Amino acid sequence: MGCATRWTQGREDELGGEEVGQDEAWIHESTGFDKGRMKERGEVVTTKRTAKLLALVAVLAVLATACGGEGEGGESETPSVEVTQGGTYRTSAEDFGFTGAFDPTGEYLGSAWGLYTSLLLRNLVTYKHVGGVEGDDIVPDIAESWETSADGLTWTFHLKSGVEWGPPLNRDVTSADVEYAFERINAKSLAAQYGYYYTGVIEGMTGQEKAIKPVSGIETPDDSTIIFHLVAPTGDLLYRLAMPATAPMPKEVAGCFKRAGEYGRYVMSSGPYMIKGQDELDVSSCDTLEPISGFDPTKYIVFVRNPNYDPATDESREANVDGVVITINTNTEDIYNKVLAGELDGTGYPAGEPPAPILRQYLTDPELEDKLKIDSGDRTWYIFMNLLVPPFDDIHVRKAVNFVIDKAALQKAWGGPSHGEIATSIEPPTVLATTAEYDPYATPNHEGDVQAAMDEMKQSKYDADGDGVCDADVCDGVLMINRNYPPFSDMSPVIQDNLAQIGINIKVRELDSSTAYTTDQTVENLIPIAANAGWGKDYADPSTFAVLFLESGISCTGQVNYSEVGMTQAQAEECNVIDAWNAATSNGQNPLPNVDEKFTECNAALGDARTTCWTEFDQYLMEEVVPWAPYLWATVLSTLSDSVTKYEFDQFAGTISYSRIAVDNGLDPNTVPVG
Amino acid sequence: MGRYIVRRLLWVVFVLFVITLITFLIFFVMPPTDPAINFAGRQPTTELVAEVRHQFGLDKPLVVQIGLFYKRIFFGDEYGWPGMGFSFVTRSALKPIILGRLSVTMQLALGAAMMWVLLGIPTGILSALRPRSIFDRLAMGFALIGVSAPVFFLGPLFLYLFWYKLRLAPGSGYYSIGQYGLGTWASHFIMPWIVLALLYAAFYARMTRANLIETMGQDYIRTARAKGLPERRVVFKHGLRASLTPVVTMFGLDLGALLGGAFITETVFNLPGIGAYAIKSVASGDLYAILDVTIIAGFFITFANLVVDVVYAFLDPRVRYS
Repeated sequence: MGCATRWTQGREDELGGEEVGQDEAWIHESTGFDKGRMKERGEVVTTKRTAKLLALVAVLAVLATACGGEGEGGESETPSVEVTQGGTYRTSAEDFGFTGAFDPTGEYLGSAWGLYTSLLLRNLVTYKHVGGVEGDDIVPDIAESWETSADGLTWTFHLKSGVEWGPPLNRDVTSADVEYAFERINAKSLAAQYGYYYTGVIEGMTGQEKAIKPVSGIETPDDSTIIFHLVAPTGDLLYRLAMPATAPMPKEVAGCFKRAGEYGRYVMSSGPYMIKGQDELDVSSCDTLEPISGFDPTKYIVFVRNPNYDPATDESREANVDGVVITINTNTEDIYNKVLAGELDGTGYPAGEPPAPILRQYLTDPELEDKLKIDSGDRTWYIFMNLLVPPFDDIHVRKAVNFVIDKAALQKAWGGPSHGEIATSIEPPTVLATTAEYDPYATPNHEGDVQAAMDEMKQSKYDADGDGVCDADVCDGVLMINRNYPPFSDMSPVIQDNLAQIGINIKVRELDSSTAYTTDQTVENLIPIAANAGWGKDYADPSTFAVLFLESGISCTGQVNYSEVGMTQAQAEECNVIDAWNAATSNGQNPLPNVDEKFTECNAALGDARTTCWTEFDQYLMEEVVPWAPYLWATVLSTLSDSVTKYEFDQFAGTISYSRIAVDNGLDPNTVPVG
Repeated sequence: MGRYIVRRLLWVVFVLFVITLITFLIFFVMPPTDPAINFAGRQPTTELVAEVRHQFGLDKPLVVQIGLFYKRIFFGDEYGWPGMGFSFVTRSALKPIILGRLSVTMQLALGAAMMWVLLGIPTGILSALRPRSIFDRLAMGFALIGVSAPVFFLGPLFLYLFWYKLRLAPGSGYYSIGQYGLGTWASHFIMPWIVLALLYAAFYARMTRANLIETMGQDYIRTARAKGLPERRVVFKHGLRASLTPVVTMFGLDLGALLGGAFITETVFNLPGIGAYAIKSVASGDLYAILDVTIIAGFFITFANLVVDVVYAFLDPRVRYS
């Protein structure tokens, strides 16, 4: 087999080349990240935008710790305290929020991914579980090495020895366990929520199999080798293999659960920790299995050390604490107060935004300043506009909206700069570094530019008298969906006031989060504009944002392409919006440009070409399609108690890094009260 | 009386049937959020949504769905009897979740009820017996504060003051007697009990006072005194018995409603009760959980009504059911 490139842990590259960084360069090449880009991201501190951010950091002393000297959030460690071993990290959340009942095959919640990848599961490759740019680097996990064929279609992974399942399985993790994870993704009944990262990518993967059965594009010639045959070269394959659904699964337990979500209370550990009570399972047959006692999906989850874990096989996890205990607390303010009181060691699993008085306390009290951590959330909050619905079927109106929105006021509604940097493009700079300097709708201090907006409005078909104000009936009573709680509800009057200046009178309908999303997701609702939506990365590749604008993102009742970019006539007919589609396309122009081809081109590109391609894609969307008015690149706020001796953020999962945090509370996770 | 109770029990069943039907129509016909889409991830495909809908049984005709629901209630399901179905969110049986949470709500409601009865009624009696005295004014001042201070205000205030600042009470959370002992259990309930009881105690004090003052002005009370009965006997045997009848009505309804969930108290004090669960279920579109909680809440309210009506007959000799 031709071997174009090879990654070998701890050894020099067998194919020669530069001694230092050769392996890293290969990874970046294969994942679409070149060193230049990494350097660019590492030097973000030198950019104008970040200079402003750092000025703010100086004012908000807390950011000095959180962002560190590199200008990147999340890389901070609690200073001047020795990192300790043992103890239990205790945290609380309002709700686990699982989307797939914690079954790794289907679960699509970033916070759950943090639990899987840091504590429970080991993939072929993984992340370093640190914050900032470094946190997006791929490193080997249970793979010892791998190679790919010259055409990029065949990937062969060799597994490490000494990686074992926790008790009561007590056996080696094998390539068959990895293959079984893909069999489950491929089974329709298991509802793999992000199965599209593998279907049509690996041969034989369709996601529509009626039974759990072998995948034709995956071979396991022996227990320590697994070979993937791809349909087409895939630049970000390693990222896809680092996602929890692909982590090995033991057939003797997981095979007992053949419907979506059912395995969630029986997840077996191959990582440094296991759910408390896993060792008490009777795995002799499916009938004897009982839910693991340390996990109640409405109350708590308790992780204790996996006695079969060998740290020598793991370079990315420190496993400092003896356990992690997450309890559910329905009172957000109480969670933060318990951290302040030392009854919890910190937040970390999303606990809701800290209440303003508590955040103010952290920002102003010198004794607390290093207890608040602010890390990049790799998430864009945006106002979307529907290209099918007047007046937003006119690109000049959409551009006018981008100019007139007072993003500084929206940021203030969120609670200020600690909650995020003002967004000026779809892709956050932490995912696509080139967007840091890009702002096609720049306005003074981000406060909006009414004149620039009016200049755009003048060019639209809805401003007949050319005074820069919409004078068409369609601009009256335009429905805007939003969430019915702060900070979203605090944004509504700002947006109403801003858009009124260009003649668009907004009628706001505020709903709970889930209902608001469901409303947006139903094509037939033809929601003209909405401010409830945000999007975070799946992994640090621009494609995970760009995917929102694909034709396939339009589904009659579950769409993510809320702006209907690239909607076809067939889709319009299927979703009962053909009249709107006909009206929008009647003037001979195409307000619904299809970006699928460009997406495919960018997704196949590698290295510099990939970065350039995604940059152009982002700029095309922002300037030629204009589906959104992005306004905030959100941060993740975490608070810590005095017991934490080392803090680390997990950039991939967007949560605290459970496998690297350290505490000195001396608690045994088996005896921590969970209620 | 026996026939009356049987007739009322049948009425309870009918009311529950109607409540369930209405709830079903509201949440299954026009759900606030589609549970199948919720379970199909961030980028749900049509195929995936269809598969989840099938697994949840939501692809069946509505009549079949509600028929299956009633069948599960009466004949049980794969998780036992009564069949409460499974949670769309956790993919777990709902019965242990609901029963566990109902137990917490009952502990909260019964403890608080005991407190407000012991606090509110004696306060009202003493105020009524010495109207316009200093005690009466203080007691009614307290009642006014109690009525004016809702749980969502008092709860965080108590937590902040007595736990966070003064450390006189433990913080929020539920710790069962079986696992953590009586002391830990009670100490974690004391604040929720007081906060919940204060509001009701205030109402009960005002109501008892007003009723007793009115009763004590009745002719038969004057007659009793004229016959030379001791004042204690006049008050407790003749005055209080009549004046408490409306209070009993109120108590039954209040307790019934609370057993259906005191969601604000449960949320503020992080008690895993049925009210907080109902709110969460509505937000997440956990349809069977919503139905189950509705039935339970409806049962307690209608059953409390029945109990109140029966107790009436004992309290007021004029009331007879035949």
